[in-house]
Amino acid sequence: MSGAYQRYARAADLGTPARESAESVGLTVDGVAVTVPVGTTVLRAAALAGINIPKLCASDMLEPFGSCRLCLVEIGGMKGLPASCTTEVREGMQVSTQTPRLARIRRNVMELYISDHPLDCLTCPTNGDCELQEMAGAVGLREVRYGFDGANHLDAAKDTSNPYFTFDPSKCIVCSRCVRACEEVQGTFALTIDGRGFDSKVAAGQDQPFLDSECVSCGACVQACPTATLTENSLIELGVPEHTVITTCAYCGVGCSFRAEVKGQEVVRMVPNKDGHANHGHSCVKGRFAFGYATHRDRITRPMVRDSIREPWREVSWEEAIGFAAGKLREIQARYGRGAIGGITSSRCTNEETYLVQKLVRAAFGNNNVDTCARVCHSPTGYGLKSTLGESAGTQAFDSVMKADVIVVIGANPTDAHPVFASQMKRRLRQGAKLIVIDPRRIDLVRSPHVQADYHLALRPGTNVAMINALAHVVLSEGLEAREYIERRCDLDAYRDWRRFILDPKNSPEATEQDTGVPAEMVRAAARLYAAGPNSAIYYGLGVSEHSQGSTMVMGIANLAMATGNLGREGTGVSPLRGQNNVQGSCDMGSFPHELPGYRHIGDPSVRTQFADAWGVQLDPDPGLRIPNMFDAAVAGQFRGLYVQGEDVAQSDPDTQHVTKALSALDCLIVQDLFLNETAKFAHVFLPGSSFLEKNGTFTNAERRISPVRKVMEPLGGLEDWEITQALANAMGYPMHYSHPSEIMDEIARLTPTFAGVSYAKLDALGSIQWPCNAAAEQGTPTMHVDEFVRGKGLFRLTPYVPTDERTTPMYPLLLTTGRILSQYNVGAQTRRTANVAWHDEDVLEIHPHDAEQRGIRPGDWVGLKSRAGETVLRAGVTTRVTPGVVYTTFHHPESAANVVTTDNSDWATNCPEYKVTAVQVTKVAKLSDWQERQRRFTEEQAELLRHAMATQDSTED
Amino acid sequence: MDLQKLVRMANQIAANLDCGDEETTVAAVADHLRRFWTPLMLDELADGFESGEAELCDAAARAVERLVTQRRAGTA
Repeated sequence: MSGAYQRYARAADLGTPARESAESVGLTVDGVAVTVPVGTTVLRAAALAGINIPKLCASDMLEPFGSCRLCLVEIGGMKGLPASCTTEVREGMQVSTQTPRLARIRRNVMELYISDHPLDCLTCPTNGDCELQEMAGAVGLREVRYGFDGANHLDAAKDTSNPYFTFDPSKCIVCSRCVRACEEVQGTFALTIDGRGFDSKVAAGQDQPFLDSECVSCGACVQACPTATLTENSLIELGVPEHTVITTCAYCGVGCSFRAEVKGQEVVRMVPNKDGHANHGHSCVKGRFAFGYATHRDRITRPMVRDSIREPWREVSWEEAIGFAAGKLREIQARYGRGAIGGITSSRCTNEETYLVQKLVRAAFGNNNVDTCARVCHSPTGYGLKSTLGESAGTQAFDSVMKADVIVVIGANPTDAHPVFASQMKRRLRQGAKLIVIDPRRIDLVRSPHVQADYHLALRPGTNVAMINALAHVVLSEGLEAREYIERRCDLDAYRDWRRFILDPKNSPEATEQDTGVPAEMVRAAARLYAAGPNSAIYYGLGVSEHSQGSTMVMGIANLAMATGNLGREGTGVSPLRGQNNVQGSCDMGSFPHELPGYRHIGDPSVRTQFADAWGVQLDPDPGLRIPNMFDAAVAGQFRGLYVQGEDVAQSDPDTQHVTKALSALDCLIVQDLFLNETAKFAHVFLPGSSFLEKNGTFTNAERRISPVRKVMEPLGGLEDWEITQALANAMGYPMHYSHPSEIMDEIARLTPTFAGVSYAKLDALGSIQWPCNAAAEQGTPTMHVDEFVRGKGLFRLTPYVPTDERTTPMYPLLLTTGRILSQYNVGAQTRRTANVAWHDEDVLEIHPHDAEQRGIRPGDWVGLKSRAGETVLRAGVTTRVTPGVVYTTFHHPESAANVVTTDNSDWATNCPEYKVTAVQVTKVAKLSDWQERQRRFTEEQAELLRHAMATQDSTED
Repeated sequence: MDLQKLVRMANQIAANLDCGDEETTVAAVADHLRRFWTPLMLDELADGFESGEAELCDAAARAVERLVTQRRAGTA
């Protein structure tokens, strides 16, 4: 399945979803023999035989509905004219899809539809791409005998409230595809058919404008619509695309596959790929609609340099910028030593790009001072899963959730942060799976339409490990463990030690209740439910990893899954939901300062020699600096030069004032990015990066799925990111001569056993590949640890609960925890530059009514949020989503800058910051904080220095 | 680098690797520091410990001593 340039055609639709069955059925359709699984509909069987039965209300993304009456067929031996979309195949069936009788009826049906439909096809936005128009042609409609003077809906007003699509009810045929898509595909239930009979109409929420309703703007309804009733505004503006390219979304760790539908170099729309293995044709508001940042006017497309951050930027050629950067870095090394410089890779970049940056650092810089932003999100996952199971990755495919009986969500908010997977999870929950949510905050999954958690363990921030130990205590003390599984698959010495530790009464739910705040009986009930399964699956997010005991908690989760036998088969497992699109990949590619690609320690001589031989250099055997260590070393004057590809540490990393102090101390900061982000304001070299639409490469999502990223338009800055890194390496005297990212992947495959079978040719053939992919698993590995754990025997690790040092005090009596929102992404550099600001144009502090009342705070008030690290001011939102004593905010906007408040506390094993627990005070205020005032002035100053470069460019062009 | 931050990190590692058996804990802390810390960070912590500025818990202190000895002997 090559996704390279293809002429535009609407994605094929087989009418009804595929059915899985070991048994098959043979039938004939118009004399053509076809064999399909039991449960398949006649409509789908016909489509598989290459026979397209006319249809309007049917789609292979939706369950059969049987309302449009176009797909009627004649079946030998059956009375009447059954709807092929709701009729299942039977052995020996003889189906006729085209007869004079059927043709007459279909024409009559179409005639009725068109009698209440505008005849403006030539000026209609979907002209040439409309199923209704196509069906009118297919059935041979030539006249509408009823006329157009009767009652109709042709004057129905448009709803243009949503920034991305228009709802034009005058064109609606009330087929319910949009309503069903909202229910079945997205699971939000925001749409309904309001009224009865002739008055029936599609309505959002309580018959509100779309933007005011609970619609999450996923676009499933737009995709489902067979007319121009729900249409992308970009399609209305630009017209029908002319070619398509299959590529992968650059937002969250779900890694949705998309058809970029394009005209020349311009993306008309992004349509989720029905063949996409992670998303199966679904998407969220970010992936489908929020791609406009790629061509935003803020894009910087020419390299710039300056000697000091108080000087104006100077636009220069690529050669001069690269030479300037390389010269500065070599100068620093000559003066301060080889270890005085380093690099940061980004989970927003491709595998090939991150691989190249770590290679640059190790081979050209000559040290291991390379780290990735996974440091500040999922590094505890790498440590915890590697040490217990043997591999630093989630154990399952997303589809595994459809076989889970009990789903546990810990410290994750999938409906906001991983929305497409959340839709799949909700589908399984609607089928009857049980749900346990462990989170201080009442996330949407706790209670939303047709979903209700069986248990919500609303623990106090910072007490995860006490909770996981209590759950394990119940399992062991009540004899719920999987003894045979443990004996067969786990290290028994370690198990005995762990068992002794967990059975200590201090780990009982009754004892831990004072720490967690969760009633013991609820913990016991949840533990029993998880242990009973039979298939229980744990999904977790940054609410697990971003703690002082993040790594301990990951090990605790793995312990619990091993103890109950919930690893190694579909429906079970331990699945970290990765925040960004390529967190898994950036870790896989050797971005950590202690590991080479494939999670192999730099101190291992055999591994190091393999890379040294391949790269033709000696490699430093000692671990390098992690990101927080880099900042500390910079403040101490030991670390002087940094190359940052695609990261914005000045906004995303904790304790902002410490980070900016470190960045200010650098002699040379090189930022490679799309925009002059917060970090770039401290830079001496700016190298214009390329968006995901402008390059080739691969991303690896949270289920270890490697998916292709394909170039849709030429890089605005002239170079793809890997080319920039390559140029820097060459300028520093280390030769790199790749001509395409596929050659980088070939090198990765040669040097990394888990990637040995990966190639661009195989990715083209299979669409995507879940690693490990090698001789033992040529097609990849959906489920890990099937017969044995990667490390051999599963290792139970002791998980003592060590309370964080970050505790409430009279001065800071509340606990702040941070998170994300659906419409914005990470630091917001991309989504803030799209119409997604319609949903979230500022970060808000959530505070419980009790705490708000005590402080005289009302919704919308400006409040000061102060910790021992710093103070910021933002608006308050008063809500019972948070419990008393806990406040919550997001970190998407630099103006509110939540990380001014977060501290330098971190995970003991990995230094992953403790974003989720900060002791704070909240007070009503009337003005911005001192930091914000300083930051505002600094931002204005930097904007002026940037304008100078732009003005120089303009005068040069004049 | 900030010595007190290094001390805090080392003590935190020791607290989390505490398995009840001191010898095993010390070995685990030393192994962790060796695998994840830069030589410069270890040196600065060791210097601080030897000068009395670094208040390390027993397990962390013994782990640092062990690493210093190993490094001087060229075995780590």
